[in-house]
Amino acid sequence: MRNLLLVLILSAILLPTMLNGQELKISGEMWGRWTMDNAMYKNAAGTYESKLAKNNLSLERGYIGLESKFSESTKARFTIDLFSTDATHEWPSTYSDAVQPIDSVSAYTQASIDGAGLKIKYAYVDFANLIPIPEQTLSIGLQKVYFGTIYDWNYSLIGKAPTDEYKVANSADYGVTFNGFIPSGYGEYAIGVYNGEGYKKVGKSLKDNTELAFLANLRLTPIPGVTLGGSYMMNTVERDTKLSGDAANKKYEKQSLMDGIARLAYGPADLWIEYITKGVELPNDKLIDAGDKDYTSKGMMIMPIISLAEYLPVDLQVIGRYDMWDDSDKPIKVGSEIKHPEMKLNAITLGVNYNIMHDISNVPQMQIQLNYTDKKYSADEVYYADYAKGYKDSSQIMMQLKWRFSNTIN
Amino acid sequence: MKHTSKIVILLTMAGLVIIPAFGKNGQITCAGSTTVLPVAQATAEAFMDINPGINISVRGGGSGVGVAALQNKTADIANSSRPMKAKEITASKSKGINPTAYPVANDGISIVVHKNNPIKNLTIAQIKGIYTGKIKNWKELGGASMPIVVISRDVASGTFEVFNEKALAGAKVDGTAQLLASNNAVVSAVASTPGGIGYAGLGYVTESVRVVTVNNVMPSESTVKGGSYPLSRKLYMYTNGKASGDVARFISFIQSHAGQEIVKEQGFITLN
Repeated sequence: MRNLLLVLILSAILLPTMLNGQELKISGEMWGRWTMDNAMYKNAAGTYESKLAKNNLSLERGYIGLESKFSESTKARFTIDLFSTDATHEWPSTYSDAVQPIDSVSAYTQASIDGAGLKIKYAYVDFANLIPIPEQTLSIGLQKVYFGTIYDWNYSLIGKAPTDEYKVANSADYGVTFNGFIPSGYGEYAIGVYNGEGYKKVGKSLKDNTELAFLANLRLTPIPGVTLGGSYMMNTVERDTKLSGDAANKKYEKQSLMDGIARLAYGPADLWIEYITKGVELPNDKLIDAGDKDYTSKGMMIMPIISLAEYLPVDLQVIGRYDMWDDSDKPIKVGSEIKHPEMKLNAITLGVNYNIMHDISNVPQMQIQLNYTDKKYSADEVYYADYAKGYKDSSQIMMQLKWRFSNTIN
Repeated sequence: MKHTSKIVILLTMAGLVIIPAFGKNGQITCAGSTTVLPVAQATAEAFMDINPGINISVRGGGSGVGVAALQNKTADIANSSRPMKAKEITASKSKGINPTAYPVANDGISIVVHKNNPIKNLTIAQIKGIYTGKIKNWKELGGASMPIVVISRDVASGTFEVFNEKALAGAKVDGTAQLLASNNAVVSAVASTPGGIGYAGLGYVTESVRVVTVNNVMPSESTVKGGSYPLSRKLYMYTNGKASGDVARFISFIQSHAGQEIVKEQGFITLN
């Protein structure tokens, strides 16, 4: 309800201004999804068996956006994010310093609280050519985070970009960025300052972060079809010392996030490769000595996309994706020793996209997506018994109807 | 895990398999700028007359639509009345498309007023004043006491983008301006509006309106080619990489003497 009120107030302020623009575009997209999950569960006998975990229909995502061009060099964008699942991710009320999450994903993914949600995804203004650098834009407000593939992830598969999936970076955040394109199409760049907490956190999720996040991103396309890039982000989680009593906050994290991408496109084939590292320093939390809780998670994605539109009478894409996310560097204390037991996810997804209702530029306005994902977690059984025995191993089938529209209304 | 690895390797290999983008023999598709449209249509007809085995389809939509069609591989040629932007070139190159520009004609964006309007010349500053709403009556420019009716192209058009850059220096067009979707519509609207002012590619200017000089320069073959006309520009056709086969022959034909004669017939200015 508070979200709705906030959105309505902001809309009331922004809309009249936007309607006065030189051009006003309205756009939107909706993702209606069927999801069926099978996962391993422990039964009464104490052994593990596969059970149906989820079988539901949802409006998984919806975006309604307005884009106003005030002049050729100034434009604003305002986008509302709607969802019937994946609602507000509050930290569980039972969470305390004494309870450590098994992994970074489980700590955040709580069950839906509201059943439906509404958030502002983007609300920013672009000022182009403010300084005399060609094709350069200053963006101010709630905007894209130019990290890895997250900012131009176009959901060829239903799943999120790896940096989003593994909670490395947020897809949108409050910030100020200089972003632009290198003349002659040799690439793009961005540098910026963000809050570092993302656009989704509200209420108890916000952790009084007092330090801003810094980002640099560069992508180069030296020859057509070959893109190489890298991103670096320095971020912190929570404040260093608690407001009351000045005590050191154990959950204070310094993060050093790095991402490298390679994209190779030729004819109908488009291959994306991404490598991510997330270095975490916990200066106020230790097992034995200072710094011994620090760790680096790493991950990789390989995603080949084959477009068959040129060879078939219908616009079909076949997509594969392999993900690896490795948290094995996370330390645990065993007796007086520090160990780093294996804790790794391997996931593979296969998907088919059927694109229909193409617009004048041949961009499909409707897409039917069918995905199958198999997730396997491997871990050292001595230290993570449930994890290793398939606690989280799962398979998932998803089918999604995605439709979008875009019109100039003024 | 073994199966997973195999599938990944197979998919990756499939992704890297070199499948050449087949050129469809005898079929050429052009899309994009409505300004370039008459040149593309007329030259396509002449080219098909002498090459009966080749079929050329030409459609408009605007320069941006042409660029998107080239990126999406649904057009062999993107017609554009402006150079491609770095953002468009980057997006194209990252998809493996190498946009290569071929100039096909010169054009001067002509400022047109109603036939009975006595104004003969406007400076760039005055045009900017009119289009940004600072000058609202012809009286302020030495004309009759008559409100100025501002007529512009829609902001998606390449002609608008060039006009905006060269005449307005990126300033916002006044909110009262009529935004029309084609050069023809602009000329027709000005012809039927006594206080009207608009702009259009030279090839669209008819006797129903009057062309005014800009900074005392009339758009003409010599002033556009020589660059003294402030609103001169080139019209382009973009292909993916160096044009080859029938596409190359078609573009060569447009750039040839015979093709440039057609460019002239359509009211535009030849390359040489």
